[in-house]
Amino acid sequence: MFGVGERSKILYQQEWQGNLSEYVTQVAWSSNGLLAASSAAGEVVLWQNDSLINLLPADLASIDCLAFSNDGKFLAAGGQDGKVRVWSILDYPLSQGGLGEIYALDNAPSWIDKLAWSPSGNQLAFSLGRYVQIWDADTQTVVTTLPFSNSSVLDLAWQPNGENIAIAGDGGVKVWSTKDWDDDSYLIDMPSASIVTAWSTDSKYIASGNLDNTVTVLEYGSHLPWIMQGFPGKISNLTWSQSLANHAPLLAASSMEGIAVWKKAAKDEDGWDANVLTLHNDKVQALEFHPNSLLLASAADDGWLGLWTNAKQVGQILEGAPHGFSSLAWSKDGQLLAAGGRDGELIIWSESKRDKGFG
Amino acid sequence: MVATTNNTVPVTVLTGYLGAGKTTLLNRILTHEHGKKVAVIVNEFGEVGIDNQLVIDADEEIFEMNNGCICCTVRGDLMRIIGNLMKRRHQFDHLVIETTGLADPAPVIQTFFVDEDMKDKIALDAVVTVVDAKHIQQHWDADEAQEQIAFADVILLNKTDLVTPEELAELESKIKGMNGMAKIYRTQNSELSMDALLGVQAFNLERALEIDPEFLSEDAHEHDETVKSFAIVDSGEVDGQKLNNWLSQLLQTKGVDIFRMKGILNIAGEDERFVFQGVHMLLDGKADRPWKEEETRKNELVFIGRNLDEAQLKEDFRQCLV
Repeated sequence: MFGVGERSKILYQQEWQGNLSEYVTQVAWSSNGLLAASSAAGEVVLWQNDSLINLLPADLASIDCLAFSNDGKFLAAGGQDGKVRVWSILDYPLSQGGLGEIYALDNAPSWIDKLAWSPSGNQLAFSLGRYVQIWDADTQTVVTTLPFSNSSVLDLAWQPNGENIAIAGDGGVKVWSTKDWDDDSYLIDMPSASIVTAWSTDSKYIASGNLDNTVTVLEYGSHLPWIMQGFPGKISNLTWSQSLANHAPLLAASSMEGIAVWKKAAKDEDGWDANVLTLHNDKVQALEFHPNSLLLASAADDGWLGLWTNAKQVGQILEGAPHGFSSLAWSKDGQLLAAGGRDGELIIWSESKRDKGFG
Repeated sequence: MVATTNNTVPVTVLTGYLGAGKTTLLNRILTHEHGKKVAVIVNEFGEVGIDNQLVIDADEEIFEMNNGCICCTVRGDLMRIIGNLMKRRHQFDHLVIETTGLADPAPVIQTFFVDEDMKDKIALDAVVTVVDAKHIQQHWDADEAQEQIAFADVILLNKTDLVTPEELAELESKIKGMNGMAKIYRTQNSELSMDALLGVQAFNLERALEIDPEFLSEDAHEHDETVKSFAIVDSGEVDGQKLNNWLSQLLQTKGVDIFRMKGILNIAGEDERFVFQGVHMLLDGKADRPWKEEETRKNELVFIGRNLDEAQLKEDFRQCLV
């Protein structure tokens, strides 16, 4: 059902495999090459020297989100017990005492579904019902509470230049300036709910994946968004490629088992051209561009992790989670790829030295 | 959403006005020794913390979706919460969603019809409505009270000890006029056998129409309620194309007022029964088992809705016969 040559290239090869006890909800890399993973059984683990260090045991409420601060000094996790836990990473590699004290913000009975660190400091944004709270790790205080209001918060994203934060939910995306939290937010109006939102790596564009099967892209500052249609269901994932010289970055979106990659035409009025990527036969759970190339990774319920060369052709299919992949993340330098599975699989692949030349 | 394989989790939608006895019923479900692990999503402030059971708080919100062809409302919070819950597949066997006293249950039900992620994983079991036999009198004018009754598969006529037998009989007759499909149980303290509550499979197309024969034969009740239910029974053969045209036109023009519809049809030239059900504009139908030799082939349709012109609908249906 897809056109791969008889012998597909080996772009990445398996480096390590381990297991958590349940569905891996998220994987995340720090800027220092530390990998963290969380599970629906409530585990949080760090991967170091091919073994796992347990930060939280199983049999807690599900941990649903996980993120390292930009400088790699803090790890935050949130989930269904309503706690936001923050560890400080004092030293890497994690020698004796490399893990610092943990802060816990208790918000029970709300679930913490989404969290993200500011790209320019140690401020953590996390969803809390219809609000997003901004917590400062240096002062250990809640800096502000942003009212999304329309509905519970479905996604949040800091602009890579740190100037704004976008919050998605019913009615669209609201953008707050980080310079003055008390300023009114800017609303990117949608006729339905915005489920996922992502800023382009050059901070220029913001995309929103919506409940009515559309993707909206706005050049931030302009008022006329492009609207992309033709998806078979609601949009589950959005990812932007690295910045490109003389061209807007590519945008990839997934909806059910389908993936589309959008490339901006030279003229604004010509919009964006779509290329549909066909491989998966079950829902795509995670989609992420390689940080330094146009290699695109897609992980799906069908147990395949597709690597798309130039975001066009299947370059390689990785396996290892027979009942489906649930999450994936590229390391910051792109040399390692981590993925989690429905049955708790945690797999790391490394860039193959033998077969270079993708992207 | 109707296939009941081992991989789908049945979901019961629990509605009723504040104080009708929903929380009591929820407690019964959670504490009853039925051997099922029940997850409960509540969206008002009734904490029901029971050992080994899950109670999840949901915000009250309705997402409006407008994609041009149909206008339907989907509860975004349900997608979010159930999506998260379903990651641990073996954590529960049954899901109960308690809607707030003032909510229209349709968006919750419709979510399970339209959401592509949930269709395969969740099977609507039944809408259960608890009615306070005494205080319902004060709420008749409220759309929500009427809708909660109209959407129900199972109705608990609760607190029967607070009204006289005559009042109760009148109330039950009134409810039957509004919803002739629902099974009505007279209860005190929301006391009802679990078999009547969980695993009802009211939305299972394979068990599509188990209409009370009394309801089918009855034309006697005349109520002045704007919300009512009625059945069409006809032994002719239906022209599939004509039926299609009629139904799609009907849903476009009257979808808002049709709360629920169900039916078994005898399509001309087909050996299988055709079964369907709908909630507002959303319709789900398929060819069912073959008609049996000894069976009389016929059409049975049930409508529950507001301001429906029964005579007109019956006439329109007759026009679809071969």
